Amino acid sequence: MVDYNAFREEVRDFAMTRCPPNIRAVVATYRKLSRKVWYPWQKILFEHGWGAPGWPREYGGTGWDLKQRHIFDEVMAECDCPPQYHHGLRHLGPVIIEYGSEEQKQRFLPRILSGEDWWCQGYSEPNAGSDLASLRTAARREGGDYIVEGQKTWTSHAQEADWMYTLVRTSKEAKKQQGISLLLIPLNSPGITIRPIRTIDGWHHVNEVFLDNVRVPVANRVGEEGQGWTYGKFLLERERLGGANVAPAMKHLERTRALLAQELAAPRHAMKRSLLEERLLMAEAELRGAQALGQEAVAATMEDRSLGLLPSVLKLSTSVTSQHVGEIALDAVGERLAPRFRPTDAAGANAEAPGIEWVQNYMYGRVRTIYGGSSEVQKNVIAKQLFGI
Amino acid sequence: MPFTAKPIIGGDAFDQACRIGLDADAELAGIADAAEQAACLRRYWDAIAELGWITTAIAEDAGGAGGDLSDLAALAGGAGRGGLPLPVVASCAVLPHLLAEHAEVLTALAEGRFRIALIPAEAARDDEADALHLDGGRLTGAAVGIETPPDPTHALVVLGDALLLVAADAPGVALTRYQRIDGKPAADWRFTGAAASVIARGDAVLRRAAEARDIGALLTCVESVSAAGALIEQTIEYLLNRVQFGVPLATHQALRHRVAEMYVEYENLRGLVTHALRSAASGGPVVWRDIAFAKLRLGEAGRFIAQSTIQCHGGMGMTEGLQAIRLARRIMMAEFEYGDRSVQARRLLDDAARRAA
Repeated sequence: MVDYNAFREEVRDFAMTRCPPNIRAVVATYRKLSRKVWYPWQKILFEHGWGAPGWPREYGGTGWDLKQRHIFDEVMAECDCPPQYHHGLRHLGPVIIEYGSEEQKQRFLPRILSGEDWWCQGYSEPNAGSDLASLRTAARREGGDYIVEGQKTWTSHAQEADWMYTLVRTSKEAKKQQGISLLLIPLNSPGITIRPIRTIDGWHHVNEVFLDNVRVPVANRVGEEGQGWTYGKFLLERERLGGANVAPAMKHLERTRALLAQELAAPRHAMKRSLLEERLLMAEAELRGAQALGQEAVAATMEDRSLGLLPSVLKLSTSVTSQHVGEIALDAVGERLAPRFRPTDAAGANAEAPGIEWVQNYMYGRVRTIYGGSSEVQKNVIAKQLFGI
Repeated sequence: MPFTAKPIIGGDAFDQACRIGLDADAELAGIADAAEQAACLRRYWDAIAELGWITTAIAEDAGGAGGDLSDLAALAGGAGRGGLPLPVVASCAVLPHLLAEHAEVLTALAEGRFRIALIPAEAARDDEADALHLDGGRLTGAAVGIETPPDPTHALVVLGDALLLVAADAPGVALTRYQRIDGKPAADWRFTGAAASVIARGDAVLRRAAEARDIGALLTCVESVSAAGALIEQTIEYLLNRVQFGVPLATHQALRHRVAEMYVEYENLRGLVTHALRSAASGGPVVWRDIAFAKLRLGEAGRFIAQSTIQCHGGMGMTEGLQAIRLARRIMMAEFEYGDRSVQARRLLDDAARRAA
């Protein structure tokens, strides 16, 4: 039997003593996380044997049970440690472990674990967003290679990644979920162009990736040709518990409470402060509700019970409440900071006014109800189950 | 198979309370005359007293069943789902807690000889000049909109650090009786130098009164979550069967999404209330905070679910004819019991300020 309280303390102690203050400061002040910040932290975790909490021991994972992993994620958030960069560790890694060849496991897993390789996800396309199976980027066989032609979009971190795991269409079938394959493509391949997308928050995180006759060895295909959708779904199934970790949102709320005290300390702000504190309290009640559901979800998974609609409920609840919290922070600083969003005399997209991250974070937060299955998609899922039709 | 709500605490007590609630609700719906309704409520009250509901959480050595919070939650949940318009939480949980050290009154309550209304320290009044005060054992002042069992025999009044018992038929006590918007019996109590016996005084009264109020708030949440689950079921049922423009309303995305939103609010509230119940059962130092958050959330989520139920039923939502709508009124009323949102928010904000300082 695992002593979860002792485990929590061990993780907390590690986080507070080993995560460099400059890295924690980036998280605490909402500055944009990048490979430069993530990599040293991943290296520290890796060297401690905690590089991949979710992987089996034989591949360098920790062998922790689900509750331990949940505690690890919670404590990381509570201590302002960056959430681990997920594309390799949480997304691709498990797919390779489950479906990859021996050669692929040897080649890719250790470099994901150590943080040497940086991955990004080539899923969405201009005409395949929520309806991902409509993707059209095509790969045709030519000898021992695929030739890939098409365009991906919303590709986070492509600007700093080495590889992109990519869903491509290898044949046209009656059902659009069929005929899709999963390819691993080096981003320095000839024919790849990466173009930043200017997002409303002023941060650079997503890109368009153009693939113009890109040659990819067949050995870089994961699993069977035409089975890519299955692997993609496997990945999403594993992510269903992601919403159970409400700790980052709770941390966001606490930081916002501190912001109100600091920003609105002057007597002339008394009314504003009390209004915002009350809104924040309502958000806290909602988040505590989500937190209780998250614990139910973890317990259900540990006991092998079905999660039912919990993942959708958690996603909806937490995303909307996080947005409320972001909005409260914006309302606290907006009058002072929102006008200073972007300097006109600088070439860079990032604004420099201290505290501008509150404004950026509010804008960024709008994506929470869009990505990972938009609120409207989640409501469709819930309604279908509730109505039975 | 459409949605079916699961009780927070199920079992025989839940089922019995739910059945009796549905029977009472159906019978009352068929009675137009107020006096006949009052007589009907009295019959149901005597029946649940006879069944021993009030003794549920009274200690065995005091003649009770020695049950715990989860037994009370089963009763409250069943009564909530069935829409039983009687003061179940007050009589089975809050009063026994307040009277735990007063065997004589407690026994009379448990046996159904005393039908006691609780007048809490923060009871509403129409006029500030009506504030209750005690002068030489005589109580003067008024409290309005007090949830009251049928044909009350006594009022138990929390006044400062004193716990008072006043007989309803004593000289200087005037009662105006009502039915609340959720069908529960209620009364305005006016005291003019009425004889009051002080049954306890001191810090213990303050402590017990605060605990009793939190127990009341928590079980009111359980009752309302249960009612909210029934509301979602009945709204879905209505939308599946009601045909307009040649199609069931359940095919319209706007309505489906509204029901999905009701469900998300319901789940969120259920999670919070379940957590608070567990926390109260294990008795940690921040139990009151978990309960306050749950009650605060009830104000938001409960209101949304009740209003959405009315909206989704269209014109029918404006009638008293449907059980769903009567339950919606019950949830709306729950907001004002044992501390509304403003009370809970004040406690929580004060606490946050204290901890920050």
